[in-house]
Amino acid sequence: MARTSDGIEVEGTVIECLRNATFKVELQNGHKVLAHISGKIRKNYIKILPYDRVLVELSPYDLTRGRILFRYRT
Amino acid sequence: MNSVHFTSGMGEPAVVITRVAGRQWHAVEDDRVVGRGDASRRPDGRIFLSVDAWHGAVFDQLADAMLADLPKPLYTVVDEADPDVTSHWERVGFMTRRREWEYLVPTDPRVTGLGSVLPPSDVTIVAVGEAEEVPLRTLDRAIRDEVEAAVGWQEMLAEVLPRLDGATLRDPSKYAVAAQSDRYVGLLRVAPVTRQPRIGLIAVRSDQHRRGIARALLAHVLGSLHRGGIETASAEVNESNGAAMALFEGVGARRASSNLELVLR
Repeated sequence: MARTSDGIEVEGTVIECLRNATFKVELQNGHKVLAHISGKIRKNYIKILPYDRVLVELSPYDLTRGRILFRYRT
Repeated sequence: MNSVHFTSGMGEPAVVITRVAGRQWHAVEDDRVVGRGDASRRPDGRIFLSVDAWHGAVFDQLADAMLADLPKPLYTVVDEADPDVTSHWERVGFMTRRREWEYLVPTDPRVTGLGSVLPPSDVTIVAVGEAEEVPLRTLDRAIRDEVEAAVGWQEMLAEVLPRLDGATLRDPSKYAVAAQSDRYVGLLRVAPVTRQPRIGLIAVRSDQHRRGIARALLAHVLGSLHRGGIETASAEVNESNGAAMALFEGVGARRASSNLELVLR
């Protein structure tokens, strides 16, 4: 887990695609969070699928929520 | 570096919006970045925006700062299933320009009904990765010119990756083509994403329309994917492209989601 001046970024694995453009992501520490995809990913038409490894920025206001910043190549 | 201060209503600066680079903006609150804005220019010259913020007020402040700095028209893409983000953009003046459906396309010939589909007798299908580059580039240029002269390339599928000036075809190894005597007349681009390949483009020269060439290209590529153990591919289709929607729905593809392209003029 990396804590930057911008917030907490952590790797995880997408385990479920939910309604409302959200994803359930299991983090490396076993916690599960609900995450949206970032506008930058959306703008570039990058698709997120179950089992994708992703980088998630956790909300500083609610650590059960996050934003997918990056999808790693598998 | 330009900064704009927004107050919390108590007379104290709460959020500072700063243009940190040519096309990047940050919203900072108490030395913490609480929002980011980004602008990027697509190969067709259009500027697309994105804003990520944890609160709607910060979204609005970032968007206001970006809109003040950038020339219009400006564009963005949202998932139609995400009404919050869509409403944020609408609040700052963006309107829906077009919709793209994402289809999940089965590959099994027993489902698609494409098992016995062949191209016209004077056309052969060249498999993905086996097309010759020079005639493929010639075909790509011809099709783009035809589209530009008709509906306009902006009405076709979004192409977002940067490319060299004048080069519209990035990776010839991703194309299957339909060949006729000494020229190519149709193409299908497929991105080999491991679990769900993506059909990025199907196009046929206008003088070869309505001969079943696109369907034959689709039959060939989907059949190959199926033999490789892939059950589903994805494809995005502009809602105004009735022929493409009919092609995919005719092989059992189902709509999975939709993206809206929004514009501020």
